[in-house]
Amino acid sequence: MLEGGKINTRQAIALMVTMVLPTAFLFVTSVTGHLAKQDGWISLLLSIFTALLIGWVAVNLSLRFPGKTLFQYVELILGRWLGKFVAFLYVLWYIHINALIIREYGSFLVAAFMPETPISVFMLLILAISAYAVRNGLEVFTRVNEIIFPLILVTVIVTSALATPEMDLKRLQPVFVENGPVPILKAAFMPAAWMSEIVMLAVLSPYLTQIKDGYKIAATSTLITGTFLIISFVGGIATFGPEVIGGWLFPALNSVRVIHLANFLERLEVTVMVVWVAGALVKISVFYWAAVLGSAQWLELKDYRPLVLPVGIILFATSIMLHDSILDLFVFLGTAWPPFALTTFQGGFLLLLLAAAIIRGKVGKRK
Amino acid sequence: MRNKLACLALLVMIAGVLGGCWSRKEMSELAIVLGAGVDSAPGGQVRLTLQLARTSAFMAGGDGGGGKEPSTWVISDTGETIADVQRKLSAKISRHIYWAHDVILVFGEEAARGGIRKYTNFFSRELQPRETMWVMVARGEAKDILETGSELERTSAQDIGFLARARTGFSVIFKDFIIMLASKGGNPIATMVEIVDRGVISGDIAKDKPTKRKGVALTGTAVFDDDKLVGWLNMTETRGLLWLKGEVLKGVITFPSLTEPGRELSVNIIRGQTEVEPQYDGESVRFYVNIEVEGDLIEQQSVHESVLEEHERNGMEKEMAREIEGKARLALDKAQGEYGLDIFDFGEAFRRKYPREWEKLKDRWNEVFSGAGVEFAVDSHIRRSGLQGRRTSVPE
Repeated sequence: MLEGGKINTRQAIALMVTMVLPTAFLFVTSVTGHLAKQDGWISLLLSIFTALLIGWVAVNLSLRFPGKTLFQYVELILGRWLGKFVAFLYVLWYIHINALIIREYGSFLVAAFMPETPISVFMLLILAISAYAVRNGLEVFTRVNEIIFPLILVTVIVTSALATPEMDLKRLQPVFVENGPVPILKAAFMPAAWMSEIVMLAVLSPYLTQIKDGYKIAATSTLITGTFLIISFVGGIATFGPEVIGGWLFPALNSVRVIHLANFLERLEVTVMVVWVAGALVKISVFYWAAVLGSAQWLELKDYRPLVLPVGIILFATSIMLHDSILDLFVFLGTAWPPFALTTFQGGFLLLLLAAAIIRGKVGKRK
Repeated sequence: MRNKLACLALLVMIAGVLGGCWSRKEMSELAIVLGAGVDSAPGGQVRLTLQLARTSAFMAGGDGGGGKEPSTWVISDTGETIADVQRKLSAKISRHIYWAHDVILVFGEEAARGGIRKYTNFFSRELQPRETMWVMVARGEAKDILETGSELERTSAQDIGFLARARTGFSVIFKDFIIMLASKGGNPIATMVEIVDRGVISGDIAKDKPTKRKGVALTGTAVFDDDKLVGWLNMTETRGLLWLKGEVLKGVITFPSLTEPGRELSVNIIRGQTEVEPQYDGESVRFYVNIEVEGDLIEQQSVHESVLEEHERNGMEKEMAREIEGKARLALDKAQGEYGLDIFDFGEAFRRKYPREWEKLKDRWNEVFSGAGVEFAVDSHIRRSGLQGRRTSVPE
């Protein structure tokens, strides 16, 4: 076995939330708010629904092949050659998406906190720590996440609560009539692309102690993530109103910056940075692990650890080369990325795989 | 051995990182901006004035008035954009200009009349300035406001910040100001600041005379048409504006006694709430303003009436309600009549209730607002009366 770790249901739920929330929290509100204005929460509800569907597909598929990851069972579904090809694409996908995440991570720190520091410093440091985490295996970073996960949730709740004096829920009105269905649908793509990262369960499922809990994990973690995104979005709109929010690059940061209570409880934005760094560490580690594990399984190696360093170098180089600037990254994430992700690796492909598996009657050997 | 060497190499590398970060800024390398002023300068240029904290003066005295050294340094220059002036100023300021502690942002009258949107972007785009700084418009030049001192605080910027925070008039933070700028259902307003006489500082009688002081006071509200300053509300009208906007209310309402002409009563406001309900029948727009207010009686010039008597208290409460409505009408008449501008965000209330109709009316909203009828329903309560129930200074 390549990966010897096993994680239980509770750990898996926490891991899946931390895997989605930190970047979504920062990047989604602006785009959703810009497109759907005060009705963005409806878009978020739609995207939760989409993510639940995609999560269901991923789990259903995995349950047909217990003990095998996505990279392995595509061969069983599609045959050796085509299967190998698709598995390879998935490995590339995990490298691509992780390069984006690493870039998001660095871009935010440079743009919002340390404009004079070269972005590569942040990216290199987080990659080094992630590489260490990945070498130590799934169980290790899952347990690290058990410390980070409550930290993230508590920070989001506390900062939202502290910002309530600045909020006016009237800014969410009027509901629906002003924007109509089209902008709301458009705005749903981006959060859906984020939350459908839950397809990670197709890689993770062999390492669950309770494999039958797959649906529960997908549903619970999606609902938690969705709820927190809605809290963050509603808080942002109530604080800034629909016109101003679309202008900020990181509304979640500005929502914390406006906290000023009794002339001493202020300047809390460092909490955003803590959540961001800690959450991004786990998120990057999970995707890094998937890419490394996928490559090892694709090459049919006995151990994935020799691949950690090479994959890390590829990740670093890719994340630097992908985009010229945060502006490019932002436009890409808001326009091209969501439809691409949803129709291919984070949705469409899985649906096709499931259909193929059902039609060809392929079911893996039961344990 | 190899492991030990690797560990050593790692430690050395970590030491390099732990030493600090790129953007490290020590206190002693910062020029902390406490107040910023924006004026227009000849040739379409902008004059930026910074009030900087002289940190050495802050450190000197342990007690409030300890430091004899002046605690601020005010410096200004002109340029094309705010950032351009900042660059020019950095040639005169030996330290790194640091915005994160800026308390107030003052716009000069002329700059505001020319359109304020031209100047606001820097303050939302730059990382350091806060969304929570107070936005004000100076009667005259912003530079003069920043060049004043303070009698009680270290700096005039902090002084003005505290004045704004006390919310005796209308005060607004930068965040809410840019929301007003971006909204179609209302015109922006900001605090008006002016240099006035601020009492005397008593001197040592043997040596010198008491010195007369000039300082900054909040004297009303600046009214904008879209982003251009068009006029002012005085303090009385500002009180009315606060009732109409449903802002946090603090202060005193003074109204005449019903039974004893020429005598006044004062009530300290504890809680106030305003609901604005638009009504539209396809032709005319009406607004119903419901104000609920609670307060404590803190002064009574009249001698025979008492809050303990229910019917007398009801009379006082009615009179108090009439006073509030009068103030609100004053502000309303000025907005509807003199300026023809919706400065109460009534448009936003209308938009929320009639989003479809709003689409048709929004482009001529100020006109619609000016013609709209407004009805008040003020519900006022006197909840407490200090330590006294009735007056005792009257011989029986």
